[in-house]
Amino acid sequence: MAALTEARKQSLRREMEALLGPGSVLSDPDELMVYESDGLTLFRALADFVVFPRTAEHVSALVRLSQREGMPFVARGAGTGLSGGCLPAEGGLVISLMRMHRVLEVDYDNQLAVVEPGCVNLHLSWAVGPRGFYYAPDPSSQQACTLGGNIANNSGGPHTLKYGVTTNHVLGLEVVLPDGEIVWLGGKRRDPQGYDLVGLFVGSEGTFGIATKIVVRILRQPQAVRTVLAVFDEIDQASEAVSAIIARGLIPAAMEMIDQLTIQAVEDAFGCGYPRDAAAALLIEMDGLAAGMDEQAARVVAACRETGAREVRLARDEAERQLLWKGRKSAFGAYGRISPAYLVMDGVIPRTKLPQVLRRVNEIVAARGLRVGNVFHAGDGNLHPNILYDPRKPGEEERVVAAGGEILKVCAEVGGSISGEHGIGLEKMDYMPLVFSGADLDCMAAVKRAFNPTGLCNPGKIFPSRKACAEAGLAYRPHPLEEKGLAQRF
Amino acid sequence: MPSPLSQRLAEIVGAPHVLTGAACAPYVVEGRSPDFAVFPGSKDEVAAVLAMAADSGVPVTPWGGGTRMGLGSPPAHPGLVLRLGRLARLVEHEPGDLTATVGAGMTLETLQAALGRRGQWLSLDPPEAARATMGGILASNASGPRRHLYGTARDLLIGLTMVLADGTVVRGGGKVVKNVAGYDLPKLAVGSFGTLGVIVEATVKLRPRPDCDRLVIARFQTLAEAGSGARAVMASDLIPSALDLADAEALSARDGAAGSDGAALLVGVDGLAEQVDWQCAELIRLLKDCGLSDWRLLDGEERDQAWRLLGRMALTVFPEGSAGMSWGVLPTQVAELMEQGREIARRSGLRAALSAHAGVGIVSAVLGAAGAEARRVAETLAEWRALVNASGGHALVEWAPLAVKERISVWDTPDPAHRIMKQIKAELDPRGILNPGRFVGGI
Repeated sequence: MAALTEARKQSLRREMEALLGPGSVLSDPDELMVYESDGLTLFRALADFVVFPRTAEHVSALVRLSQREGMPFVARGAGTGLSGGCLPAEGGLVISLMRMHRVLEVDYDNQLAVVEPGCVNLHLSWAVGPRGFYYAPDPSSQQACTLGGNIANNSGGPHTLKYGVTTNHVLGLEVVLPDGEIVWLGGKRRDPQGYDLVGLFVGSEGTFGIATKIVVRILRQPQAVRTVLAVFDEIDQASEAVSAIIARGLIPAAMEMIDQLTIQAVEDAFGCGYPRDAAAALLIEMDGLAAGMDEQAARVVAACRETGAREVRLARDEAERQLLWKGRKSAFGAYGRISPAYLVMDGVIPRTKLPQVLRRVNEIVAARGLRVGNVFHAGDGNLHPNILYDPRKPGEEERVVAAGGEILKVCAEVGGSISGEHGIGLEKMDYMPLVFSGADLDCMAAVKRAFNPTGLCNPGKIFPSRKACAEAGLAYRPHPLEEKGLAQRF
Repeated sequence: MPSPLSQRLAEIVGAPHVLTGAACAPYVVEGRSPDFAVFPGSKDEVAAVLAMAADSGVPVTPWGGGTRMGLGSPPAHPGLVLRLGRLARLVEHEPGDLTATVGAGMTLETLQAALGRRGQWLSLDPPEAARATMGGILASNASGPRRHLYGTARDLLIGLTMVLADGTVVRGGGKVVKNVAGYDLPKLAVGSFGTLGVIVEATVKLRPRPDCDRLVIARFQTLAEAGSGARAVMASDLIPSALDLADAEALSARDGAAGSDGAALLVGVDGLAEQVDWQCAELIRLLKDCGLSDWRLLDGEERDQAWRLLGRMALTVFPEGSAGMSWGVLPTQVAELMEQGREIARRSGLRAALSAHAGVGIVSAVLGAAGAEARRVAETLAEWRALVNASGGHALVEWAPLAVKERISVWDTPDPAHRIMKQIKAELDPRGILNPGRFVGGI
């Protein structure tokens, strides 16, 4: 997009303020800085405006205005994303949904809730908790991240092993399409007629429009929860325990692995009682009926012992359970204490490949003189290697990014994926050829055109850049704005 | 003399795998004969056949087990039936990963048998498992009673290979259970009725087979009582795998006692023995407060047989001719809408059998059409649709005699988002050769 003249900017600002009311439009560079990145600070990009609509009609009007001006626009929730997906990569408008944060309706009998996109994930569980319900997908950022952002990224979390990810819990969406029309996809009822546009929209990373109402399933809280910490002297043993539990016919609610570096960081920082000398710990949670819970726990304990656990600890009460989870949940904060920065990676592998891939990850990182901490959703093979580094040291950031790329290659080689829950965004678009052919990407681009024909809705994401296409031997399809000579990829 | 087209088809798949003329009789779709029935043996052959059909402008009708070919608006011209039965290989099954990759032409029964030998299953139980193929189940979004706990095809499909209308082979998703790379093309394929591409291979999530699996058949005097039982189960701590509600006519498909009074809840319960025992006891205790009159616990072959018969209810209850609808409504509306639907049929002087996956709000409503005027059947279906639409739900004519289909639309009136669906169809099948005209809004 050609840069806006100052006069044009002033007039657009006035127009949007008239639309949304005072205090709803930011255009001062100092204020815009807050919105220049998400949880992944490697990428930064400044918008021309950040706006705060309060209704679907506001969003629609903003989208129509953007289309009229040929100005890119991108929706933003809490900005906790980890792939740069909500960055205004090509300038233009950031549409923040943070003022649309209400729980609009809860229908306990039909076990569903209708919320606005800016509703914080955990706030929904709080809202329905008193009646014995909760919302199942629980990304680690659930205290801050919004359900609209969860929709864009098809977010996961530890408990998705048993309960599925966001897409398995969304029944319907009111969306503002990229041309400004407000339509419903799906609704409160199952099996709507036609293509599964809800399934397509969830995980489309904000490129198919902006969700303004979200219908989700809410679940009854389980009768009983049992949490086990299994401690291993070898990381391979912990990986094998994961498969052994599955082989015993159990699907726990969560199976999280924490490696030695992470255990030590967590213990230094918070003292959760994990043994510092352990090579790895597995945090396993079962939930469901009270009946049979002892039997399930016994099977899990037996599987862990059989694969060589030196200690298996069963949380005796809620306080102990919370302490065990604290070790898992505070890992990221703990890294902050031992390293000035770290890059959170996200890749997926078939869970039977865990031992070999974890070895490769450690080799790849060590070969570049870096350290890595692993804390991840072992049950569904969703790796999160966290590469520690110091951005002030010249060349270190580049080495981290290179190591990250190699790790993704390994994931792809063993039949896995380059993202399990963080999305492609800006970070991984050039790695897409690792898992998709030119034909696959063309098909996705065709679907994108159906929703977003001008390409102005969150441009410059997901699809590989010209350079990456050339390296992978794929035909590069230019962005519609590039074709018109209005924009360049950076 | 063979047409040049059939010669070219024979060159692609081999002469024994091409049928023409009268030999296509088993592949008649809604009374219309295709010109060819073609049996490709690999995804490359599928691609070559589609590329050729696209070149010649011949419509293509993908065909799995043929169990739901009557679903959709009648085709103007079935053109080339593409039967995928030879793509029936279990490509990969890694028990430790709880995933399997399977050719589209494999029947569900064959797949379940192979998985079962290693203690696992695909938690999807649509009717007609012996004939229904994986590709057909996915394309038609077929499901069964256990969707109550385990969801539908969209929840279990994690990757697929599909051949587009021009013969391009594309993959979406992958082989891992959690994956957000790229758009979710598997979701797009599920329920697309072959209008966007031909599914040739699918990767699905599996579950361990439960230690214990039981069916509780709980009988009530009235549909309203059974409905209140279903709601009580939903509001309890119970975690059944299935929660079906059936009226007396629907039940007759199982026990042959036609026209008996009352209604029943069919509740599936699986898991560890201790869990199943507790759930059965708790279920009975709960239902007694709702007017439970009688119950039975079924296990093993008896249980499977009961589920099979209920799945076939729609086909068997009125063997001389029927029309069937599927309604999507709120779970709390199920029993009352079923009652009103029965009343509508009664006023029309037609027999009706209704059952539902009560916990998810999917009702199967079948009308006895034998000997009835097509006009009366169509009018009754239209009344049903009006009832369901007025409640905010949707209604689909799953099958009906052609004379009835001439009088009522198979699909509801499309909503505004339909223009996006049309756009997707135009992007992926610009010449409109895949199942043209059969889907929602004429897609």
